[in-house]
Amino acid sequence: MSTFIRFLKKLWILLWRRKFLNELDEEMAFHRAQAEKEFIAGGMTPQAARDAAMRQFGNVAKLKEQSHQAVAFRMETVVQDLRLAIRQMLRSPGFAVTAVTTLALGIAANVIVFGVLQALVLRPLDVPNAGKVVSLQPGRNETNFSYPEFRDIRDGQSVFSAVAADRVMDFGLDANGATHPIWGYEVSGQYFEVVSIKPLLGRLLARADDDHPGAAEVAVLSWGAWKNYFNSDPDIIGKNVRLNKLPYTVIGVTPRGFYGTEKFLQPEVFVPMSNEAEIEKFNWLDGRQNHNAWAIARIKEGINVPQVQADLNTVASRITKQFPKEEAGLSIRVVRPGLLGDALGAPARAFLAGIMALAGIVLLAACANLGGLFAARTADRTRELAIRMAIGSSRFRILRQILTEAFLLSLMAGLAASALGWAALSGLGAWRPPTSLPLQFAVLPQPSLILAAGLFSFVAAVLFGIMPLRQILNADPNDAIKSGVGQSSAGRRWALRDILLAGQIALCCITITAAFVALRGLGKSLSMELGFRPANAVRAQFELAQAGYSSESAASFQRRLLAAASQLPGVEAIGYANSTPLAIDQSGTAVFSPETTDMRLTNAAFGAPDYSISPGYLAAAGTPLVSGRDVSFADTAKSPPVAIVNQEFARRLFHADHVIGRYFKTLPGRPIQIVGVVANGKYGTLNEDPKPAIFFPISQERNTSTALVVRTHPDPTGVTSRDMAAAIRKTILDLDPAVPIQESSVWSSQLGLQLFPAQVATVALSLFGAFGLLLSITGTFGLASYSVTKRLRELSIRVALGAQAKQILAAALGRMLMLLSIGSMVGLILGAAASRLLSAVVYQASALDPIVLCAVAFTMLLTGLVSIVNPVRRALHIDPAGVLREQ
Amino acid sequence: MADKTDLLPGTLDMLILKTLARAPLHGYGVALSIKRLSDDVLTVEEGSLYPALQRLLLQGWVKAEWKMTETKRRARFYTLTAAGRRQLGIELSQYEQMIAAIGRVLSDPKEA
Repeated sequence: MSTFIRFLKKLWILLWRRKFLNELDEEMAFHRAQAEKEFIAGGMTPQAARDAAMRQFGNVAKLKEQSHQAVAFRMETVVQDLRLAIRQMLRSPGFAVTAVTTLALGIAANVIVFGVLQALVLRPLDVPNAGKVVSLQPGRNETNFSYPEFRDIRDGQSVFSAVAADRVMDFGLDANGATHPIWGYEVSGQYFEVVSIKPLLGRLLARADDDHPGAAEVAVLSWGAWKNYFNSDPDIIGKNVRLNKLPYTVIGVTPRGFYGTEKFLQPEVFVPMSNEAEIEKFNWLDGRQNHNAWAIARIKEGINVPQVQADLNTVASRITKQFPKEEAGLSIRVVRPGLLGDALGAPARAFLAGIMALAGIVLLAACANLGGLFAARTADRTRELAIRMAIGSSRFRILRQILTEAFLLSLMAGLAASALGWAALSGLGAWRPPTSLPLQFAVLPQPSLILAAGLFSFVAAVLFGIMPLRQILNADPNDAIKSGVGQSSAGRRWALRDILLAGQIALCCITITAAFVALRGLGKSLSMELGFRPANAVRAQFELAQAGYSSESAASFQRRLLAAASQLPGVEAIGYANSTPLAIDQSGTAVFSPETTDMRLTNAAFGAPDYSISPGYLAAAGTPLVSGRDVSFADTAKSPPVAIVNQEFARRLFHADHVIGRYFKTLPGRPIQIVGVVANGKYGTLNEDPKPAIFFPISQERNTSTALVVRTHPDPTGVTSRDMAAAIRKTILDLDPAVPIQESSVWSSQLGLQLFPAQVATVALSLFGAFGLLLSITGTFGLASYSVTKRLRELSIRVALGAQAKQILAAALGRMLMLLSIGSMVGLILGAAASRLLSAVVYQASALDPIVLCAVAFTMLLTGLVSIVNPVRRALHIDPAGVLREQ
Repeated sequence: MADKTDLLPGTLDMLILKTLARAPLHGYGVALSIKRLSDDVLTVEEGSLYPALQRLLLQGWVKAEWKMTETKRRARFYTLTAAGRRQLGIELSQYEQMIAAIGRVLSDPKEA
């Protein structure tokens, strides 16, 4: 083994050759200087001493050469190895192509997943000194702070150089004669101190702009908005733009490549948060119960995270002491910025980590596959190797030659994988998920990707290159030459390649299990009970505040629209709401039992998503009313407050089914009577557990945000729905052409975003599964053929002696089948354990589903059959006479 | 390498190891020490010394470290490792066997 260490040392010197030579130089210079001193001490003149020292030392370049040679690889041997490796590959091009393809796919899978992981999780935000930027999140079941909480944190802390609140909003931006729905940020005064970027034009928002509502009606545009909507106007600064119909003055443009502080959004505009009331038509700046602000901060130089957390704990307890009722149990956590804190970050990170593990498994399986083939090939070459050893080649030399071959293969695979990964990531970065507003993934490939590919290839090469190591080290030239084609080892001993095959089958089985679990989960999410029927319904979404409406004028516009749209031919039911279940914007409210008098948040029974709906909405959405009545326009601000709840609400608050006429309370302590009960549904996400939900009459809870839902006659072709969507759009614009319609289309198509994570997961996992399948087929096939070839002579003798087909098969492939079943079992068990990870993304992901178990078992069985059918045929059709004559 | 060497072939490594067994030294120090201790009879050519030191490093018999000399110059000091000490023992015993063998060949058999 010391040969191997010496090899590593040599490799080290080769890699750091410059350092090595420099050190030699210095050492020799020192030597000459010392010699010179000696000569001077002996009475020479300095010049004579230098000459003498130089003379004694001789030719420096030659000396260095000699020293280097003592430790370097000889170039000829490296070239020789390479030439031999290429010759080997050319001799069996099939093997080379299989090896390179398998490896390239395995490495590419890792590179792509790594690229996404890097872009979404590992890479910090694109701002200067990003390591110091953190998001803050309350420790309760919420992700946002109220504005007063944020203010308390900002003014009470001493560890941040800047703290800002931000809120992502959709805006209506007037440009080029139309109102465009865009993403924007409402930010507090210190936001641009937190990100600390330099403006491209003008200036950024400062503390004074956010001092009080109306302090400055100014906006900062993104580079993209400036380019797309204002033709990169160089004189844009000081001009007015209309945001939600309000005049805002442009004061600056952010530089290209700044996308705010969330990684999946492309915001176009930044406005002061203190103006939110006039923008959103709803003032939440003063209420401690309105949790609408995200918080982001920049840590002061020289302060570490534990210090930050300690300071935040002090601030939180101070706030709780000051407002014991509203702020009971407040804590403040530091989380990674960029993915809505933990809200999106935690599941995204968990999922990507899971996928990365799967990608690693796939690469490992590919290496085991190649390692097996390599070991088999080396076994075939036993005789050649033995001859080489007999004529004086060292074992190490042979090992090095095989490693060279492995490295050459994985180098080619790495190159192919880099190209593949680069193309895939570029495609992913350019792709827009199916949403009304522009979402994007900043996953553009980085140069570090090539480095990652190189690293993966290197690891792979070492992994499968050392598989034949034992064979070479144990090879006895004498024995091998005597007994011909390695017959000696065809006995009962378990070879390394057997274990490799079982391991590989197990690994592949994990990927296949994961793929089936995901497919099954997706199937379930497509057929599950949503609590509404998106088929044969059209949904139009718009925000009237963006067209300058107040909540009063919005209410009358909505009534007029309802009247006009009801007249359209083909309408079966129609109604509207502020938002619909499974849409992006969801709001929630705290629910208290009717007996509660101390209305602090910790006394709430639960939180429930709430909707404001018009009469007819439930019918239009297809939400079954189980008992009671629909809301009515007769429910007004003057009549007693009423609401419709779902069955889960009734069960959770009253443990009863019949709850009509009973009361519950919301903040600030108002009793609300239940007038109807509807069926349960899905509200926030498809994979949520049953949740309580509330539907208020929109005539009591006015809202400018509007989702009009129209149910049409069932039409499997979908033509009716599409025509209806166009007719609705026209009706809205006829009433007011300034309304920025975000969407008017078939409802089921709008749920794409909800299914999106499950779809992404399913596609990714299916690809891994397919690859795993491919690997197990090639691996099994390769080894089955090999074991038949290897024992051809033995089998021939058996046939000649009258063995039956069954005995031949048992002899040739019995062990193979055993390995296959052991591997599959282990893989299935591991896969079942691993699929728990999937439940974050895929609805009801469980590998213990009998359908999944059967599917996996069946697939593995089929795989086994497909891959050994050819070797079986060969084993059964052995012509003993021919074989025995040949050998 | 062997053109001008006055040493017995194969003894250079042993001499270096033995020298370093007394104390860590830099390359020049090794050459000087061998020269002094042999009363100027053995001179180690630089052309053999440095390749030999690199060979010993590679075998793991000595290790090298950059340090300051008393005259405040940076120099690479070589130290004998445990493996080096073992190797020295092997080479010494081999050397003694060889010397003894040569001695037996050269001596007059009648005197024995």
